[in-house]
Amino acid sequence: MKKSILLILLLSMCVNIPCLASGDVSVTLKLDRPEATLLDSITLVVSVSGTRKSDEQPSLRGLDAFEVMPGGTSSRIEIINGKVNAGVDYTYTLQPKKTGNFTVGPAEVKVKGKTIKSNTETLRIVKAIQSKEVDRGPLFLSATLSPKQVFVEEQAIYTLKLFRQNRVGDISLGLPEAEHLAFKQLGKPVEYQSVYKGQSYQVLEVRYALISSKAGIYGIRPSRMSMTVFRSRRKSSRSLFDDPFFSFSSGEPVTIASEPLELNVLPLPQKGRPTDFSGLVGSFKIKAHLEPSTIRVGESATMTVLLSGRGNVKRIPDLKLPELEKIKIYADQPVLMEETDARGLAGSKTMKWALVPEKEGEYRIPSLSISFFDIESKQYRVLESPALSMSVLPVENAQTQISQDVLKGHKRDGSRKQEVKELGQDILPVHTSLKDLHPGARPGIGGVVFWAILMIPFFAYAVTFFIQKFHRKTTMSVAAARARKAAKALIRECQKGGLSSNHLTSSIRRYLNERFNLSLGSLTPDEAADIVNSRGVSATTSERLRRTLKELEDAIYTGKGQETCDMGGDIPELIKQIEKETR
Amino acid sequence: MRRYSYLAISIIAIIFFSGLDTEAQPNGWEAIFFRANEAFKEGQYQDAIDGYEQLVQTGHENGHIYYNLGNGYFRLNQLGKAILNYERARILIPRDADLNFNLRLARDQIQDAIAEPQGFIQMAFFWLDALSLQEVFWGFGILNVLFWGILLIRLFHHSEWNYYLSFVFFVLFLIGGTSFGLKWYQVRTDGRVVILEKEVNILSGPDIQDTVLFKLHEGSIVHCERSEDGWVLIRLPDKKRGWVEAGSVEQIKRDPRGPC
Repeated sequence: MKKSILLILLLSMCVNIPCLASGDVSVTLKLDRPEATLLDSITLVVSVSGTRKSDEQPSLRGLDAFEVMPGGTSSRIEIINGKVNAGVDYTYTLQPKKTGNFTVGPAEVKVKGKTIKSNTETLRIVKAIQSKEVDRGPLFLSATLSPKQVFVEEQAIYTLKLFRQNRVGDISLGLPEAEHLAFKQLGKPVEYQSVYKGQSYQVLEVRYALISSKAGIYGIRPSRMSMTVFRSRRKSSRSLFDDPFFSFSSGEPVTIASEPLELNVLPLPQKGRPTDFSGLVGSFKIKAHLEPSTIRVGESATMTVLLSGRGNVKRIPDLKLPELEKIKIYADQPVLMEETDARGLAGSKTMKWALVPEKEGEYRIPSLSISFFDIESKQYRVLESPALSMSVLPVENAQTQISQDVLKGHKRDGSRKQEVKELGQDILPVHTSLKDLHPGARPGIGGVVFWAILMIPFFAYAVTFFIQKFHRKTTMSVAAARARKAAKALIRECQKGGLSSNHLTSSIRRYLNERFNLSLGSLTPDEAADIVNSRGVSATTSERLRRTLKELEDAIYTGKGQETCDMGGDIPELIKQIEKETR
Repeated sequence: MRRYSYLAISIIAIIFFSGLDTEAQPNGWEAIFFRANEAFKEGQYQDAIDGYEQLVQTGHENGHIYYNLGNGYFRLNQLGKAILNYERARILIPRDADLNFNLRLARDQIQDAIAEPQGFIQMAFFWLDALSLQEVFWGFGILNVLFWGILLIRLFHHSEWNYYLSFVFFVLFLIGGTSFGLKWYQVRTDGRVVILEKEVNILSGPDIQDTVLFKLHEGSIVHCERSEDGWVLIRLPDKKRGWVEAGSVEQIKRDPRGPC
């Protein structure tokens, strides 16, 4: 029952996802790579997030230079950190018709009558470079380098393409090694269709950023790729097993190599090199802002400088804000973000400072500068952040009102509260209350109370235990004395003589009851024998008792119960024997 | 019956009053305490210390008085004496927030970096550091009453619930008893001494002519192994050992016979 309810809930959740999520619909356009040749196919994916269906197929712009083939639709549901996100992906295959740089997109998607636009992507289509060789076979590895001449620390893109017509598996790649050269993979490998020398191939492409730390001409040896190639066996006649699913193929290990390449690494020019140059090479931009720009004395404003771009971002130095008069500066830990895409290494560094003015007035925060080598213009450039201004008002005299923002850890101007800073250190004052000072208010360890608390519970238990034991023992002793007396009384009675069978039977029963602490009203000879036998009396003696009682019982039942019985002489001996053998 | 009542009342009265110390002058110590507090407020720290010391000497040993004494010595810039009295206070009122704050502040000013070793017993019986001997005793006392009480009940009434309860109380009784025993041993054998001078030479023997092995500074806490003719053999947690003049150190546990 519970499972059914859960299933219904899950299903209803899935059904309701489009309506739940339709309030926050977004469209993203993505190409599998930014550069391709005229003979390659390119995969374009339009991802719609926040809904599982659109009103109609996306309308794509900027695709005049391409042949567009729809590649299918797939919907998805993701649950990340308990948040359900539904989406649909439209996949297209593009076949370029001409070379050039193109802006692909935006894609327009209609959801519930509302048109949502995506981003755009740039795509460079180059002429396919065909090798002079006529045919390179059904499987080959191609390597290209772009550009072939770079400056120190500038990245070149090393692209490896595996062209194949057969199914392959277990691919492993061995990259060439060279001193002062470093390879860094850019994104995941992509697969697409391409044409080479008139033949169609499936291409697996993987890109690397190649960075050199020293000038010189580097010979890049061939990359080696090992794999298992599955070649289909031709069958004479078509059958059910001609289906690729059932095709028979045998695996064959193959290692192929790419062509060797050469990279010319130029040293960075000495001319115009700034003194503060940190080795940053690439293309960068700087942004700076102050939040808030108007504050009161003692409050803090945050100055943020963001340096972002494409290149060796690890070389971005930590900028230093010069000391400012009447402003206390607290630098935050800079945050470096590195990312890679098909075009190379990129990233940003965010630096923050908390500025706390000590006096009211207008302040000017000077600009910060950084130099780098611009690979576009092939010269050094200096980036400068804009100078910022800050208005500082006097301290508010009125009592501060505690607003909801303050309670949430925010100041009323929206900025985060500062960490409490220790301004001085001193001891806490003396204790002057008499409350805890009463001497000896608590009993001391080792005193009477101490021993009383420790020993009284134990003694109470011990005394009760012994009293109980003594009492039990006394009760048992009384029973034992009574038992001893019972034998004596019976023997004495028997010795008097002239007793009837009735009298002797009841005397023996009384003896057994008192001796063995029983309270039986009547007793058969067998029961009596069993009782004494269970108390350790031998089988012979028990049998004797049984026989004696049987004879007495017979006498009673034959009407001789009141007559004098001559067995009175044997019974004392039997009782003595029972007493002797009883445990 | 009446005779038994008198006997019971007498026993209770003996037990109750035996724990209380005699108070010869009911208001005397209070007056000294107030005067010392006033002196402290007015910045007459030496007078305040004299007052608090007088209270301690007359048997009014109390964690709060030791705390106040520590504050007085701290104000007089006698770090060693301040730490000594804070540590004495910590034995009696280990969870006092003011005390722990001031002690931490005082310890921050010690020059020597001597790490306090953490043994297995300190880790296993981690609560002992936060409880005074009195508190551990009362905890054990309650467990003692509960344990023997449940056994007593079992003499008259056997049932499943009191069987399991007696087992639980037995385990707690053992833990409580062990804790009390350890705390008792810890307090009785506390051989820690505090360096009282700004800087002292630790020598290889009990003679001023002996080699200086290392130096210690005011406020450092070390263990005293034994004393001999006005000299004390001390040991550091890292096993460094040496002799120091008895006048340069004072034991945290008050002992009229001197250190160790």
